[in-house]
Amino acid sequence: MAWLETLINGVLLGGLYALFGLGLALVFGVMRMVNLAHGEFVVLAAYFAVFLATQFPGVSPLFFIAPVALAAFGMGYLLQRLLLNRAVATDDPLTPVLVTFGIAVVLRNLMVELFGADPRALDGGALATAGFEIGGLRIGWYPVLVLVLAVLAFGALQWLLQHSRFGLVVRATSDHREIVRTMGVRPRHVYAVVMGLSLAFASVAGLLLALRTSFTPFSGVERLLGAFEVVIIGGLGSFRWALVGGIALGVAQLVGQRLDSNAGALYAHLLFFAVLMVRPNGIAGART
Amino acid sequence: MPLLEVRELCSHYGDLQALFDLSLDVAEGEATALIGANGAGKSTLIRAIAGLGSRSRGAIRFDGQAIEAEPAERIARRGIALVPEGRMLFPSLTVEENLRMGALCGRTGHWTLPTVYALFPILQEFRHRPATQLSGGQQQMVSIGRALMANPRLMLCDEISLGLAPVVIEQIYRAFGDIRAQGTALLVVEQDVTRACRIAQRVYCLLKGRVTLAGRASDFSAAQIANAYFGH
Amino acid sequence: MRPPSLVPWLGFTAAALAIAFAPTVADGGLLRLLSEVLITLAMAQMWNLLAGYTGLVSMGHQAFAGIGAYLLFVASDRLGISPYWMVPVAGLGGALLAAVVAPLMFRLRDAYFSIGMWVLAEIVRLLVAKFPLFGGESGVPLQAVRLVEAESFQQNAFWISGAIGLAAVAGVYLLMRSPFGLGLMAVRDNELAATSIGVNVWRNRFIAFVLSGLGFGLAGGAHFMGTMFVSPDSAFDINWVVTAMFIVIIGGIGTIEGPLIGTVIYFGLRELFNTWFAMSGGWYLIAMGCIAIAVMLLAPRGLWGLARERWGWRGLSVQRHPPPRDEASLSAPLPPSTQQGRTA
Repeated sequence: MAWLETLINGVLLGGLYALFGLGLALVFGVMRMVNLAHGEFVVLAAYFAVFLATQFPGVSPLFFIAPVALAAFGMGYLLQRLLLNRAVATDDPLTPVLVTFGIAVVLRNLMVELFGADPRALDGGALATAGFEIGGLRIGWYPVLVLVLAVLAFGALQWLLQHSRFGLVVRATSDHREIVRTMGVRPRHVYAVVMGLSLAFASVAGLLLALRTSFTPFSGVERLLGAFEVVIIGGLGSFRWALVGGIALGVAQLVGQRLDSNAGALYAHLLFFAVLMVRPNGIAGART
Repeated sequence: MPLLEVRELCSHYGDLQALFDLSLDVAEGEATALIGANGAGKSTLIRAIAGLGSRSRGAIRFDGQAIEAEPAERIARRGIALVPEGRMLFPSLTVEENLRMGALCGRTGHWTLPTVYALFPILQEFRHRPATQLSGGQQQMVSIGRALMANPRLMLCDEISLGLAPVVIEQIYRAFGDIRAQGTALLVVEQDVTRACRIAQRVYCLLKGRVTLAGRASDFSAAQIANAYFGH
Repeated sequence: MRPPSLVPWLGFTAAALAIAFAPTVADGGLLRLLSEVLITLAMAQMWNLLAGYTGLVSMGHQAFAGIGAYLLFVASDRLGISPYWMVPVAGLGGALLAAVVAPLMFRLRDAYFSIGMWVLAEIVRLLVAKFPLFGGESGVPLQAVRLVEAESFQQNAFWISGAIGLAAVAGVYLLMRSPFGLGLMAVRDNELAATSIGVNVWRNRFIAFVLSGLGFGLAGGAHFMGTMFVSPDSAFDINWVVTAMFIVIIGGIGTIEGPLIGTVIYFGLRELFNTWFAMSGGWYLIAMGCIAIAVMLLAPRGLWGLARERWGWRGLSVQRHPPPRDEASLSAPLPPSTQQGRTA
């Protein structure tokens, strides 16, 4: 029975991982870019949410999702327009990796200097601890909320890409970013919007993280690897598999923790490694 | 006044110069052919006109307006459409989605999804298939259809017969009649000299980035064309 | 052919002498700082060997540094041998780990490789933290320090760091001038072409990878021997790679001089912020990061590359020079010039 609970909680934790990885997968799939600063933006959003909570006490943090996401979108748009478009234009796949790595280090240390290294958290009120019983199992509302949001986010993004005009433009730009210009599309703008979306998703993940647990400026890099594992397991551009990957990692971590406490993350990493060895391009494989 | 005027155009790949003071005209509604051996600069010229390649010196005027300094996105909206070498269909998109991409620049006119499908009926059958799953000839039709969806006044066709069977090429070129009938001018890069001279009113022969022959196809003998092509 | 230049050898000898005599003029604090500089330089050269000359960008090399450190501590304490002798063992540990994981890691390309290495380092860190043999999460002191003379310890530790720093610079320089080095750069520039002329791609990458593991192992071992305390978080800290990476990128990736310049800038910035601006903590890292980003976008060859392009500076050039043109060869066609990408 306890195993079933662990399994279910693993799935729910996986929802959070998947949400972390969603923005990464988007950028990875569209621009073939690896954003190593993704984790730092997640944490930055958490700090912003905490700031909003101090400005508007008594308001449920869930209402902050919209302003946080909007701010993150703007930040992502500017970041891409001003810095990252240059990195992508070099056509060297490693330049964006190194540049975003640098951004990550800068952001991380900046947050330490400005906010201090002490753990912070967002008070979720009753939501954080409320739960329900089902067939003798105890399940928290919050993890369910996260999983539902994750699935919704993935679904919404998938719909946007497949059925909207903007999604059409994004997919075409991701295929042939030069030719698309002869159809009046501005790739630099498209990339910037995609990055904005990516950080918007990251910020939602950050806010939810802050509700669940305390965080420090280093929480980003701690979660980043997990987020990457989600994306890489799924393979380039496959959101469906990224969602599955996230859930699998969540399960692996909690099951591992049960078997061998203190080293839960180890099992998630080992699972990731195993998948990567068998399919070096992820489950869905790389698009040609 | 010609629809497209290219005057003394120079184009570079890094330090390498590919076009040398090249001049060329395309008249409204006419088909003009670009012939020449590989590496003569035909694709370079096409790309430069479309705004994708370097235009280091010289002028390009479209409908009297200077476009040599404009980005490709703006040139597209003026009514110049490109059927690129190698087709460059979007693999993540279906046939119909590829066609819809062509209409994005917002120009309206005769060419819409129904009329493009009427021109190339086989595409309607495959409209929800991923575009790159079609045969070479069908993909070429999608590429042409995509350019048509922009209702261009000038369509640039870069090596559209490459790798296709003669029967398929004939089928595609037969469509050109309808395209010209709607008022679109054509600048066509064509490897096959005979076919080029048959479909086009004017012919330009390029060699090593320069024009070696220009005029009405009927004005030249086969020997003259061969000389211009290979250079003697 | 031009005769080999004497300048590098003079420079090397001068540096060696300076290191040998430093303990007589420098106090403990300065010696510790210099040790750190030399160790950092060694790591930068090793990371550059892999990233700049081999084309493999690793974000997990802290694994080798950490393993080296732990090996030194555990072996020293358990076997009761002086830690000085364990430094080479630390290096060997790094090399061995590299050799073992290479077949796995080489299956991955580009960004997958980089992140895969990072995950590997995390796995090693978590494994080390698990087993009581290694002293657990909180770390373990170097008990074998009892076996050595307290007075000369700092001096000896410094000399060891100096030796490692010198060896790293000289080693990479000699390696790159050798046929192996040429093969390595050929593989980096164009794998397919290199294979077609008979260069064994896998073997070259493997050797470079193992050597860089060796270097990081030595550096890690020496550093933690000096601090006399190691913990999983400090031993496997990503900042080892962050530092090496920033140094190499700012100085000039794929050159010998680059890491030298970058190391000077790194420590210069740190002193600047800590002492002059009195902004301690992470501010120098923030500055370093911003400079690294700017360099990557505006001057991808680094500051050394800029100096070479703008002012024609030549240093320890690892390029081959074409033979001098005499009357007979003037009529022959010139060989094709300049390589592309991140060259020396």
